[in-house]
Amino acid sequence: MVVYKRIWAGAIGAALALGVSLPAAGASLPDMMEKPNGFPERPLTAIIPYGPGGGSGQFGRALAEAVTRITDVPINMEYKPGGSGSVGMTAYMATPADGYTVLEHIDDASSAHALDPSKPNPASDLIPLVTAQITFSQIYIRSDETRFTDWKSFVAYAKSRDGKTSIANVSKAGSMERMNLKFVTDHEKIKLQQISFDKGGPRYAALKGGQVDALFEQPGDVRGFLDSGDFKPILTFLNERPAAFADVPSLKDIGLNINPLMRFRGYYVHKSTPPERVKWLQWAFQKAFHEPGYQAFNKKKFMDLIDSFRDTKGSQMLINDTIGIYRKVYKEVGLTQ
Amino acid sequence: MENFIAGTLMLFSNSTSVLIFVGGLLGGMIFGAIPGVSMLTLAAILLPFTGHLSATDGIMLFSVIYCAGVFGGAITAILFNIPGAPENAPTAFDGYPMTQKGQAGKAVGAAVLCSAFGGTCSAILMMSATAVIANWAISAFGPPEVFALVFFGLAVASSVGAATLWKGWLSVLFGLMLATVGLDPVGGIERYDFDIPYLLAGIHFIPTILGFFAVSEVIIQMEKRARGTYEAPKVSLDFPSLVEFWRLKVAVIRSVVIGFFCGILPGIGAVLAAFMGYNEAVRWSRDKSKFGKGELEGVVSSETANNAATGAAMIPLLALGLPGGALTAMMVGVFQMHDMEPGPLVFINSGELIWVVFSAMFFANLCIFFLGWLQTKTVVHLLRIPFHFLAPAILMMATVGAYAIRGLTVDIVVMFIAGIAGFLLRRSGYSVAGIVLGIILGKIGEQTFAQAMQMLYYDPMEYLNRPIGLALILGGAATIVFNIYRALRFPAAARA
Repeated sequence: MVVYKRIWAGAIGAALALGVSLPAAGASLPDMMEKPNGFPERPLTAIIPYGPGGGSGQFGRALAEAVTRITDVPINMEYKPGGSGSVGMTAYMATPADGYTVLEHIDDASSAHALDPSKPNPASDLIPLVTAQITFSQIYIRSDETRFTDWKSFVAYAKSRDGKTSIANVSKAGSMERMNLKFVTDHEKIKLQQISFDKGGPRYAALKGGQVDALFEQPGDVRGFLDSGDFKPILTFLNERPAAFADVPSLKDIGLNINPLMRFRGYYVHKSTPPERVKWLQWAFQKAFHEPGYQAFNKKKFMDLIDSFRDTKGSQMLINDTIGIYRKVYKEVGLTQ
Repeated sequence: MENFIAGTLMLFSNSTSVLIFVGGLLGGMIFGAIPGVSMLTLAAILLPFTGHLSATDGIMLFSVIYCAGVFGGAITAILFNIPGAPENAPTAFDGYPMTQKGQAGKAVGAAVLCSAFGGTCSAILMMSATAVIANWAISAFGPPEVFALVFFGLAVASSVGAATLWKGWLSVLFGLMLATVGLDPVGGIERYDFDIPYLLAGIHFIPTILGFFAVSEVIIQMEKRARGTYEAPKVSLDFPSLVEFWRLKVAVIRSVVIGFFCGILPGIGAVLAAFMGYNEAVRWSRDKSKFGKGELEGVVSSETANNAATGAAMIPLLALGLPGGALTAMMVGVFQMHDMEPGPLVFINSGELIWVVFSAMFFANLCIFFLGWLQTKTVVHLLRIPFHFLAPAILMMATVGAYAIRGLTVDIVVMFIAGIAGFLLRRSGYSVAGIVLGIILGKIGEQTFAQAMQMLYYDPMEYLNRPIGLALILGGAATIVFNIYRALRFPAAARA
């Protein structure tokens, strides 16, 4: 546990601190940028390695539409779901490095590389154009739950049940969700039975229908249930309480001194893309982050509670730090040598 | 009733809404009929444009596409053995053999009528159902019960289309084995991928279905032509008679119930509904051997059930904010584009939207009946196209369909391998229907089994505390035991 504390406090702390200074840089981008030798002269294609209805599909489309609004360049979406994003990544690596095809991906690409170095490193095998969503996780219970009403009583309940307390999760081995939960359960000395649901609808139905006791999720994905009062958060995976969840304990409040793994989403392009095209794409995608329509979308998803913007350099730092953390953690838990 | 009338007036008093309704209806039917390019493709294309429509028109458009798209794939399944979507695959089990027997009009007519009937019943149930039903469904049916439901369905799958019970079981088990290719649904462990990254996502069932059904059929017909035994299917426009439908009333009602029930459970939907509807028709039939060989009840059961799932799938979405499948998940995106979240508050804050959607789905199903009737009178004539023109067209359509689903060439390879395997297996008395059942039910079954075991803390005896799941498991086990007993005791009767 000491190891986690040392690594996380240093690495992610630095990455988050860096991010604070970056939005200004993004906002100062020029309003227009001349197309390098007419690029792009036809629509771009965005490969989305997940389905159109999920968080990645919605994010990919929202940012692409913002790019179109500021550049008048249409972007066609190609959804290639499967294999936790690996199918889309493989398909993208086979496309020409001409800048006409971009890739949307999430932190799963970083953890996949940490687990298996033969998988592309998004920071060095690709060029991150922008990271435009960074969010934290929470644990939710039903609002009408009577067995426990807050984190303290939930922990007491879990201890009394001797491992028979369930939580709906994505729960793939080595996933951000599973790793974050491991730190909390180790700290509280509780055992939670993680039930793996790969799709949001059945996962939320499991909590709402009382099939599970709790849910691990990001707030933007369950906003409807929070607004309707069906779910309530009992723990926020951040060190400080965000204003929108001021009454929900953070990790620091429960005595856990780590920086949690975050969910982040962004756009990438091939490393060998002509530099002038990369420069234009960086401008377009970073400028799109600040576009009012995209900002409104991010706000709806609770993505304005912490700084969600990283430019190329900031994204590379975030990814490299995240990979470093995953590597250490995987070694600790025996997933890698 | 007042709400329904008000919703109907709102829908048809606005010319834009009427245009969107008609566009969604025709678009859904066309995209649903083309293999690979499903209603989901159309919905994904239209999604960004719904931001320019009112929230009511946007959601209404998607709900109409949903109704029409589920029906659309039945026609090609019956005429050419090419299911437009997985939920139409069981329709092909008996629909295509009916075409070969010269009963294409009867099969398409039954599909049209039953799709419209199943969808209309579902729309009516949807209107009368409340959030109470949705809440009951998600409380009573968790992964242990869904796994038990899949097991109950699989128990009868061996009876479909194989020469013997044993070959039926081997077919189903082969399908189950294919379903395990790719990442396991719990731990993300890589299985049978042979270092081919595309296989990590598993073998997609659309190329597999196209291969087993369409490609293998073309090869079989080619062989018949080479041997001089080929006979072009007779074109018939005979609709099923009222007497025939009356005889199948129990199957229709059963499929409405099954379809509605499967639709209301998030993550289950029309695919499982169609397979379960078909399987139950087999289970309760006195002569199981007639299924897979051109039995009208097979078409009726499958098409009623898959359309009955459409209205039901809207209940958890609208009442609880829980999308049950890919299309309903996209509807959440439409809601969010208009600063809305589906769920109980929609009923309170946007009652008119709900009733416009309800009435649009009701009328979409009625339109399916009339448009489908016209379609039957025309599309059946496609069978007059000579085989040497039809076969390349089928192969081309299937190839485009297999590629279009994910844009991966590996899916075309999978389709042709499945086609050749299907040809050889069918010659040997194995059942491609059983294999497809194994693949579809295997994917859902494995995931829900893993979830069930986690929820039951790896103690199967916990099923004793879940009466619905226990009853389904016992029912499935009894079916298997009975079938084995029958095959051993009366080997001739068990053989097709």
